[in-house]
Amino acid sequence: MTAAAAHFDATQGVLIASGAWRVDAAAALPRLDGHIVRVLDGTAITQLDTNGAWLLLNAVRPQPDDPLPELRGFQPRHLSLLNLVAEHAATTAARIEPPRAGLLETVGRSSYAVARHISGLVRFIGQLTLELGQLIRKPENWRWRELGAQVSTVFVGAIPIVIGMMFLLGVVFAYLLGSQAQQYGAAITAQLGTMKVNEEIDAITTLGLSPLAVLVIPRILALLIALPLLVFIGDIAGVIGGMLVAQAQLDISTYMFVDRMESVLRLKTLMVGILKGPVFAVFIALIACRMGLSVSRDASSVGAHTTSTVVQSLVAIIILNAIFAVMFVRMDI
Amino acid sequence: MSETVLDVRDIHTTLGGNSIHRGLSLTVARGEVIALIGGSGTGKSVLLREIIGLLKPQAGHIKLFGESVLDSTPAQMNQLRQRFGVLFQDGALFSSLSVEDNVATPLFEHTDLPHPLCRQLARLKLALAGLPADVGIKRPSELSGGMRKRVALARALVLDPELLFLDEPTSGLDPISARAFDTLIRLLADNLGLTVFLVTHDLDTLFSIIDRVIVLADGRVLGSGTVAELKQFDDPWLNDYFSARAREEETLDGN
Repeated sequence: MTAAAAHFDATQGVLIASGAWRVDAAAALPRLDGHIVRVLDGTAITQLDTNGAWLLLNAVRPQPDDPLPELRGFQPRHLSLLNLVAEHAATTAARIEPPRAGLLETVGRSSYAVARHISGLVRFIGQLTLELGQLIRKPENWRWRELGAQVSTVFVGAIPIVIGMMFLLGVVFAYLLGSQAQQYGAAITAQLGTMKVNEEIDAITTLGLSPLAVLVIPRILALLIALPLLVFIGDIAGVIGGMLVAQAQLDISTYMFVDRMESVLRLKTLMVGILKGPVFAVFIALIACRMGLSVSRDASSVGAHTTSTVVQSLVAIIILNAIFAVMFVRMDI
Repeated sequence: MSETVLDVRDIHTTLGGNSIHRGLSLTVARGEVIALIGGSGTGKSVLLREIIGLLKPQAGHIKLFGESVLDSTPAQMNQLRQRFGVLFQDGALFSSLSVEDNVATPLFEHTDLPHPLCRQLARLKLALAGLPADVGIKRPSELSGGMRKRVALARALVLDPELLFLDEPTSGLDPISARAFDTLIRLLADNLGLTVFLVTHDLDTLFSIIDRVIVLADGRVLGSGTVAELKQFDDPWLNDYFSARAREEETLDGN
């Protein structure tokens, strides 16, 4: 099999191609320096495929609307392949550039997206409230089993992690619990998103069940129940961790630690932490469930929505913390 | 026309304790358009996966273009892979890439061509697969099932393979799209000199575009031939298979 070669005779305007013209033949094309090819000679071409044919055509006819040069000496099957490619080459030259957005358009589009996102979240909360109302009127539709399963994953499963982390890292509990809840949020989004891709959510709806009642409400309630309990467990683990460090490094006895803690740490502080838990829980679960259900039907969207859940949860925690801070100051706590 | 492109010899496969292939042998010559049929669980897709090197049989030989698939090093296998294209059942398009980049990916990976040129060649293949020009910038999730199959076909063809494997190309398509896809496969096979090996359940495909049908049963090749020849076979499964079509036609005549 001979390698592809091409020779251009500028005086006659003849391009003579030879050898095997395939996708790797691109380097064999001579520079034409703006000369027009009048004749394409393919007598010595031994092999031609669509990629090779396109490379040749593209060289002799930079614009697909230009007339083809005279095709000389081609074997019949090469000629028909060349014609097939020429017929379909119209779309290959015109670069379909995605329209580049200006600054104003970008700002406008992202504002619109944020507005739609917020209105979608509000609508979601509305639907959920409606659904919850119906469930209260018809308690036999409660998904106790699902709620139990969710409490067990989010609460029982998280206890060792929370104890371990808090024990080692002492008192930074709000942040850590926040991140734990976010992890759960990401898990919810990924799980619901995958169900969406597999059309499981559609199947639930088709069976006459409500995805909100079957999937969303048990998850929100589970997080609502679990987070205050996790905060409490984490608090205790954190205190014990701090106590051990104090004794080993600072030579403060356990008795003294507990004694001093009573005067420094008031019950109010503990209650504030436990009170914040369920509020964070509801918002994170809401965001996570909504993002999970709005996944579109492809795999990459699951990843994108999961990331988005983590980011939104973080923003929500920061905003809620700020609101709590203002509230507590006003209430003089 | 007599050059053998695919040679499968005495394959034995056991999966999860079930014996799937028991001494299966078949050959495909250059330029043939072949369909592999057989009841559910006869190991059609398993055989396809073995031929393209995704699964290893317990015993036997598989030769593609005269080179052994089972004894190839990963580097040799990659060389071989550039000579055949595969269309997976649901297209298996990469959901994070645009349609154009999906088709251009084999060119990005296997050639030194600049990326804009790869994309131009990808657009040529999309046009050959009968897709409109504006499809290139879309995402696979924005396309219908029939269009996704065409994109997958364009991707399978982008390196101008000599051999094309198709796993149930018309499954999940409506009858009109399915016939259009059949016609496209035959047109490309004739124009590009392709050898086509497809696994199918679609009787209309068999009757319209296939040169030779290979029938799998009991882990072996039950027989091979044109549809007319196979109808003469005295095998209960084949009789049932073709009588499904006959009944269909009677119903049509009755109307």
